[in-house]
Amino acid sequence: MSTTPRVSSGVAGEPAHFGSVLAHQPAIAESFFALYGRFWGSDVLSARIKEVARMRNARVTECGFCRNVRFDKALGQGLGEEVVDDITDGYETSAKLTDAEKAALKFTDALIHDPELLTGDARAALQRHLTPAQIAELGLGVTLFLALAKALITMGLEPEVMDRIVLPTPAVLEAAE
Amino acid sequence: MSAVCAALAADPVLASHYADFSAKTEAALDPALVVLVRQAVAAVHGMGAAPDESALDEGTRTCLAYARRMPFEHTAITDEEAAAVVAHLGEAGFVAFSVLAALADAECRAEQVGLAELAGAG
Repeated sequence: MSTTPRVSSGVAGEPAHFGSVLAHQPAIAESFFALYGRFWGSDVLSARIKEVARMRNARVTECGFCRNVRFDKALGQGLGEEVVDDITDGYETSAKLTDAEKAALKFTDALIHDPELLTGDARAALQRHLTPAQIAELGLGVTLFLALAKALITMGLEPEVMDRIVLPTPAVLEAAE
Repeated sequence: MSAVCAALAADPVLASHYADFSAKTEAALDPALVVLVRQAVAAVHGMGAAPDESALDEGTRTCLAYARRMPFEHTAITDEEAAAVVAHLGEAGFVAFSVLAALADAECRAEQVGLAELAGAG
């Protein structure tokens, strides 16, 4: 995995990172940030469960950037580091993750790793803990997390070193609505 | 329609945003390449036949070889492989191509997991 950018920044004076590289394609960037803001702004599925799924994706896809970013809305909903630490292999036995979060994690693993993981009891648990509308949002989220992590990695935008940072949760762009 | 769009049927605003993002990504590339990339990625997932590359130019074949790595080998793609795609598409094209290939992979996975059905739209 390369930590040398494979594409230059599209913003003068800024280093290559996801936002500055996406600036090469402003229409895609604008549409993505509108979508991502809308997704995180919706409360159909809690920000905490979305963040649990995002953290799992970060670990499985080996996205160091994703792994070190935290969104403040999920923090406000109690997703501290002691809980995030349990989003690893063996999460099924965690006492800190809720049953709904474990069901969401199994769905996440199935989408990003192996669809066979979501059969039988795991599928029933997902449908017991989440409504169809919540599953739709979770599916959108995992699709975006996975795609963006892979795009980021393959464009060589992984940081060599990075401290953990808390960022404002993406929000709906006023001009886009 | 992708499994993601189908799953979002009950939330037309979010569905519209997703469809727009996908459309803007595709619009940044040659439509023929978009179809080939989606076919190549789907074939890796066992979802259809691989595209016929016999009449394609070398640059397009290079892009498809790269796209086929996205589903299961994304961390193994080398700087040289990426540079070859940049040489063919340019930097802006490479950005759109990277998003498209990754999105195509994720959409195949969403379909395989039965997202639309789970969301009550199947």
